Amino acid sequence: MEEQMKKWLEPFSTTDGKPSTLATMQEQVKEWIDQDKIDVFLGYKMVQGHPLPHFFTKSNLGEVDELISGQARYSLEKIATKIAAETPDIKIGLMVRDCNQRALNVLYVWNQLNPENVETIHLNCCPSKLKKHADCSYLEPEKAAVYKKKVGIDNNMDVEDAEAFNMEQRFQRWMYEFSKCIKCYGCRDICPVCFCKECSLEHPELIATGTLPPEIPIFHLVRAVHMGGRCIDCGLCEDACPVDIPLRLLYRKVNATVQDEFGYETGTHAGQSPFNLLGDEVTLEPKPL
Amino acid sequence: MDYKIIPSVCSYCGTGCGVLFQVMDGKLTDTLPMKTHPVNEGKLCIKGWNLHEHVVSDKRLTTPLIKKNGEFQNASWDEAIQTAAEKLKGIVKAHGPDSVGILTSAKITNEENYLAQKFARAVIGTNNVDHCARL
Repeated sequence: MEEQMKKWLEPFSTTDGKPSTLATMQEQVKEWIDQDKIDVFLGYKMVQGHPLPHFFTKSNLGEVDELISGQARYSLEKIATKIAAETPDIKIGLMVRDCNQRALNVLYVWNQLNPENVETIHLNCCPSKLKKHADCSYLEPEKAAVYKKKVGIDNNMDVEDAEAFNMEQRFQRWMYEFSKCIKCYGCRDICPVCFCKECSLEHPELIATGTLPPEIPIFHLVRAVHMGGRCIDCGLCEDACPVDIPLRLLYRKVNATVQDEFGYETGTHAGQSPFNLLGDEVTLEPKPL
Repeated sequence: MDYKIIPSVCSYCGTGCGVLFQVMDGKLTDTLPMKTHPVNEGKLCIKGWNLHEHVVSDKRLTTPLIKKNGEFQNASWDEAIQTAAEKLKGIVKAHGPDSVGILTSAKITNEENYLAQKFARAVIGTNNVDHCARL
């Protein structure tokens, strides 16, 4: 535990290549708040031995000295969205890793946050195929156990590997994974890009209620379909899943389809999404019915 | 605008998952799983995810109730404790201590559970002590 705590408090580096330390980040935040560039800053602070999201404002400016990078990854942008929904003109500063930035881009696209009211400080992020070196330890893949490997889907598989099973095997394996679902809605609740007021997953006419596991595979496939062009592959859903369903892999497949069909790489920019026709300009031709 | 994250422990069952309450302008709005908590490691069940709801629920009792003339009526704590004590005394006197059973809870602390069994054994005089996790 002590070693882990030390790791959380270690200096971080910025994504623009400049080495940075906690102190420069704290200075930057203080400056922004002092000059009214931002009203609040969302970062992390050690509370009772846990790195927790923390709200820094002018009234608690002294606490900025306790600002840390916090290797436990919470969806700060989801908190920002909730704050902005209550106070639309508030200027928010955020500590972001790559995944947070992708989520912000999607939230800009869907008008949940106004990019003009958001300032970001970039942090080094979690390990991925694109980025081997990383500070965030939370997504270091857990090894799948023997039984899961035998009858289920290993969460660390690539889409291609998962598709290599024959049709019958693949269906059985995914159904095994879905059958573990306890319908906690954690995947939806933690998701930074899930913001709908009404959710299909709670619609009794779309998904039958009253049993566990929920109606499978429809429960998970409805969510998967809705993740097309939305999922930014942050992995928070899989992290929050109490039964280890390989959700990230499932949504990767959906997003790959979106990329193939529309050439849209979700989260990489804040431009028009093929699914959002409410922008300034409609770029898609509706197909004849 | 004031926003706070308050760490706590889920009160639904005895597992003891770490939760974070989101408090916006003094109002409890959401519950999040605590990522670094050794018990739940960032996961929660559906009850934990909705923990804030029983705090802000309209149905939540904010005062003790005593049944008078077949109807529940608001009462003070002194009144409620007095009534419970009198009724318990009356039952023990009429039917003996073993006519009373004490059910404790997984949701309260170890110390409170200790006190509950002590109350059963030393005050009431019965070994009828059980626990909600066995119900």
